[in-house]
Amino acid sequence: MTSPTLPKLIGARIKRREDPRLIQGRGTYVDDIKLAGMLHMAFKRSDIAHGRIVSIDTSAAEAMEGVECVLTGAQLAEFLGPMPILTPFPAPPHYAVATDTVRYAGEPVAVVVATDRYVARDAADAIQVEFDPLPVVVDPDRALAGDPAVLHPDLTNILGQTGSNIALYVPAGTGFDPVAGTVDNSAIDAAFANAEVVISQRMWNQRLVPNAMEPRGVVAHWEPGKDTLTVWSSTQNPHTARNTFCGLLGLGQDQVRVIAPEVGGGFGAKINIYGEDYVACAVSRRLGLPVKWIEDRSEAFVATTHGRDIVADLEIAAKRDGTILGLRVKLIADIGAYEMLLTALVPTLTNGMLSGVYDIPAIRSELYEVFTNKTPTDAYRGAGRPEGIYFVERGIDMLARELGMDPGELRRKNFIKPDKFPFMTQAGNQYDSGNYEAALDLALKNANWEGLKRERDAARAEGRVVGLGMSFYVEICGIGGWEHASVTVHADGRITATTGTSPHGQGHETTFSTLLSGQFGVPADRITIVHGDTAMVKAGNGTLGSRSQVSGGTAIMNAGEKVKGRMAEFAAFMLGAEAEAKADELEFVDGRIQLAGTPSIGKTFEEVAAFAYMGAGNAAGAGMGYPEGGAGLTDEAFWEPAGATFPFGCHIAMVEVDRDTGELAVKKLVAIDDCGTVVNPLIVEGQVHGGLAQGIGQALLEGAVYDEDGQLLTGSFMDYAMPRASDLPRFELDKTTTVSPHTPLGTKGIGEAGTIGSTPCIVNAAVDALSPFGVTHLDMPLRPELLWRIIQGGAQ
Amino acid sequence: MAVKDYIAPSSVDDAVAVLSEHGADARPFAGGTDLIIQVRERRRQVGIMLDVKKIPELMEYSIGADGSLRVGAAVACARLYNDAEVARRFPALIDSASLIGGIQIQSRASLGGNLCNSSPAGDSIPTLIALGATCEIAGRGGRRTVPVESFCTGPGANVLQPGELLVSLTFPAPAANSGAAFERFIPRNEMDIAVANAAANVTLSADGATFTAARIAIGAVAPTALLVAETGAALAGKPVSADTIAAAAAAARAAARPITDMRGSADQRRHLAGVLVTRVIEKAVERARKA
Repeated sequence: MTSPTLPKLIGARIKRREDPRLIQGRGTYVDDIKLAGMLHMAFKRSDIAHGRIVSIDTSAAEAMEGVECVLTGAQLAEFLGPMPILTPFPAPPHYAVATDTVRYAGEPVAVVVATDRYVARDAADAIQVEFDPLPVVVDPDRALAGDPAVLHPDLTNILGQTGSNIALYVPAGTGFDPVAGTVDNSAIDAAFANAEVVISQRMWNQRLVPNAMEPRGVVAHWEPGKDTLTVWSSTQNPHTARNTFCGLLGLGQDQVRVIAPEVGGGFGAKINIYGEDYVACAVSRRLGLPVKWIEDRSEAFVATTHGRDIVADLEIAAKRDGTILGLRVKLIADIGAYEMLLTALVPTLTNGMLSGVYDIPAIRSELYEVFTNKTPTDAYRGAGRPEGIYFVERGIDMLARELGMDPGELRRKNFIKPDKFPFMTQAGNQYDSGNYEAALDLALKNANWEGLKRERDAARAEGRVVGLGMSFYVEICGIGGWEHASVTVHADGRITATTGTSPHGQGHETTFSTLLSGQFGVPADRITIVHGDTAMVKAGNGTLGSRSQVSGGTAIMNAGEKVKGRMAEFAAFMLGAEAEAKADELEFVDGRIQLAGTPSIGKTFEEVAAFAYMGAGNAAGAGMGYPEGGAGLTDEAFWEPAGATFPFGCHIAMVEVDRDTGELAVKKLVAIDDCGTVVNPLIVEGQVHGGLAQGIGQALLEGAVYDEDGQLLTGSFMDYAMPRASDLPRFELDKTTTVSPHTPLGTKGIGEAGTIGSTPCIVNAAVDALSPFGVTHLDMPLRPELLWRIIQGGAQ
Repeated sequence: MAVKDYIAPSSVDDAVAVLSEHGADARPFAGGTDLIIQVRERRRQVGIMLDVKKIPELMEYSIGADGSLRVGAAVACARLYNDAEVARRFPALIDSASLIGGIQIQSRASLGGNLCNSSPAGDSIPTLIALGATCEIAGRGGRRTVPVESFCTGPGANVLQPGELLVSLTFPAPAANSGAAFERFIPRNEMDIAVANAAANVTLSADGATFTAARIAIGAVAPTALLVAETGAALAGKPVSADTIAAAAAAARAAARPITDMRGSADQRRHLAGVLVTRVIEKAVERARKA
C-alpha cells in the first residue's frame, strides 16, 4: 500500500496547548459552574442489593431548613419516563430513580433538592426506606440458571424467554448466518476433530471501576419564558446527551443546549447518559430554577457504570507444529442490574475480536449477557476489545507453553499475512490493513528477546522468580458513526474550527489546530478549536472508541479543504488582473497565498480573509463583484470512514516476583504500537502511557469485589488499588506504521491500544515466572498473596 | 450528631481544661488526617474538635545536649524528614515519617497523631517502640510518662484517660554502634495500609560481629503493635549471622497474632512478620556498621 502524501506538521512533537491551563488549575469543570438561585441535589441510595421498596419516609428530610423538595422514584416517574438506551435488543424498563424495586446497592430511591449541597446530603441521609429484601444474585453462572433470583421477571429476552436473567444471547463465528439466525457447527467440529492438541481454560476478565479523576456532575438550567434548557455535563458526547434529554423530556433539539466544559477523564464511563442527568433536567424544568448535582467519590464507585467482567471458557484446537485449526469460546458477561446506553453492545465487541491477529480457519463463539445485582456495566477503555484480546492472547500463550514453542514464533506462524488484507476474520470483522511481522520483529529487537530469555534463565538458576511475557493485540477503531466539523476563516485571518468530538483529556485542541495550521500555512496559535457545546457545534458523536482522529480529524481537514478552496478563489480574483493566477495554482505557505513557483505573486492570508468579507471597498458606488458564491469563508463537512480501522501492536514484558512476599515488579515493558500515521507523537505516546498504566492496573491491582450480599467491598481508594507511577517501569515505546486505506491521512486510532496489549502481556509474563511451580493460568488481579501462596506450594 | 464546636487553645493547660470539661465529647487533633475522615464517615462521634496546633509545646522538636530527641505531639512528619540532623541520627524515624500517606498527608500528619489513633497498622508505632520512645502525657493532675510500647491497648484504644493529652515523644540518644530501620508490606508500592510492618533497633559489638542488644517491634499482626521481647532475646549476645536473624524472625512469627481480612490472611501476615523482621534487622545492622 502506498503512503498518503502528508500535510506539513504531521509527525511534529508539539506540546499540548491544553496543559498549561489544566496543570495550573485554571480549567472550568462542571462543579465550577455557579448560577444565581441554583439549587443542589443529593440522592438517597439503596444500601441493599435487591429488594422491594415497602415505604419511604421523607418527612424528616422535608422538614429540614433549606430543603426545597424531596421526590421518590414513584413521584419522579409521574413526569419522567424510563431511560432510553441505544441498543436494539429487548431490555427491561429502567427508571432514573427506582420506583418499586432496587436491584443493586447504590441504586437511587429518592432525590433531595436543597439550597446547598450539604443540606441536601444531610436530608438524603434523613430519608428512611423500608425494604422487603429479595435473594441476591452475584455469581454469573448462577445468574445464567436464574438462581437464586430473577432480576427482571417481566422481561421477554431475545430468545423469547421470560423469567430468565439472560439479557442477551449472541452467537458468532464460522457457520453463523446472522440473517437466518442459524448455526452450522461442521467446520468448528472438524477443527477440533482434527486437532493434535487442545487447550482449554476458563478465564475471567474481572470487573473494574473506571475512576476518572473528575467524578460525574451536571448543572441543568431551565429558563421559563425562554423555554430552553441548558445543561453542563461531565460527558464524552454532548450531542448524544442533548438528543436523549430531548427524547425523554419531550423537548426540541433547538430548545436544549448541552455543554461539556473541561471534563476530567471518562474512560468510556461518561459515554452513558445517567439517571442523575435526567433528574437534574426534569427537576430544573419543574422548579424553574437551575439545579446542580456533583457525584462524590464514594458514589462514583457504585453509581457510575463499571467495565469488563466477562468469563470465557476458551478452547483452541491446533496441530503439534503450532498451526491453529479452530477456536471455540463461551462468554458470560456479567452486566449488572440494568442495561444502560450501550451496556449490551460492549460484550458483543468481544465476540468480534476473537480472531486476534491470527488466520484462524474456524471460530465459534457464544455470548451470554446476564443480569446480576451489581452496578451496571458499560464501556470502559477498550470496551469489549481488551477482553477478547486477553482471552485469545492468554490462550495462544498456553498453546506455546504446551507445544514448547517460542511464543513469538507461534504467533508469527499463525499471523494473518500482509498480502491477505483486507482480511475478513471468522469472527466477522474485516481488517483494513496490517503488517504484524514487522511489529513483532521490532519488538523482539527492541526488547532483545533472546537476551532477555538468557537473563531470565540465569535469574531462575539463582532461585529468582522471573518471567517473560508477550502479547499481540489488534483493535477495532473508527466506529461510532460519522463526525462533523466546521471551519471558519474570520475577516482578521484567524480561524475557528468546531468538532463534534468531545475531548476529555485527549488533546484535540492541539492535534486539530496542528492539522489546520499545516493545511492553511498559518501558525497554530491563530486557530481556536471549539468543542463540547451543542449550540456552537452543529452535530457530533463525541469522543469514544478511539475514533476522534480517524473521524473527527478527517472531518476537520475536509471542511478546511473546502474553505481553502474558496479562499484560493478569492485570492485568484484579487491577483487575477496582474498575474492571471488560477485558484488551483495557489499555495498556502507561511501566512501567504501565492503562486506556486512565483512567491512574489501573492497576497497575505489576512488580506485575502478581509477581502472575502469586505471586498476592496465600494468607492465607485458599484459592487466589487465577488466570485460566485458570495462573501465569507466558512464551510462544514460530515465524514465517516468506509470501514473500521484496525491498529495493532506487540508488547513484551519482564517481571520478577519476590519469593518472600509475592510482590510482582514489572522490570521491563517494551511496547510497539502501530496506529497508522501519527499526527503528534507526544500525544500518541501519552495515550499509550496512560493505556499501559490502566492495563497493568487491571493485571496487578484493580478489581471490583462484591460479597454474596451484593455489597461492593472495594468501594473506596483504600480498598480499590489504582496503579501509581511507582508501580510502573519506564516504558520503552516504538512504532511501526501501517496506514489505513480508509482514512486520507492513514490514521487508525490509539486511545485504547495500550490498555489492550499490556494486560495479557503482564499476565503471560507472570505465568511464565511461576511456570516452574506448575502454573499454566492465573486470574487477575495478580495480588501478592495469590503469588506468594503459589510459591509456597499452596492452593491457587 | 454533627460537630458542635472547634477550639484551638494556645497552651497545654487550656487544652487539658477543655478535655476535662467535655470528656470523650472533645477530641484533640493535629493534622486531622485520621479524625476528620472518621467524623465525616460517621465512624466517630465528636462534639468538639480540639485543634492542638496552636500550642507551641506540641509544635516544637529539639535534639538535646545528650543526643536525645524530643518531638512535640503535633509536629508534622515532613518537618522531621526535612531536617538533615534528625534524619542522620534517627533514620528509622524517617523510614516511618516518609511512609505515612503521601506528601500532602505527611505535611499535616504527626507522629503523636499516628500514635493516638492507635491503629494496629500505624506506620510509626513499631519504630517508636523499637527506638524506646517515652510518651509525655498531660492531665489535670500534672504530667506522667509512659513507655510507648504500653501506650496502645487495642485497635483505636490507648492509655489516655479522660482529660489527658499526649504532649511529646522523647527518643533516647542512639547507642554507639547501633542502627535502626522500619519496613512495611503493602499491596502496592505506596500510600496504602500495611498488611504487616516491623522495626528493628540493634546495637552491635565494637567490631560489628555480635548483637549486644536489640529491640524489635511488629505491627498489623496483633490488636496493637508489639514489642517482641523474644526476638530481642534471640539476638542479644549472638553473632551477626543469617542463622541468628532467622531465629529472631521465627520468634517474631511466633509472637504474631494476626487476623484475616480483605488486606491479607492470617498466615500470610504471620509469614510477612518474619520476612519483614529479617529485612529490618539486616538493614539496621548495615546502618549500625556505618554509624
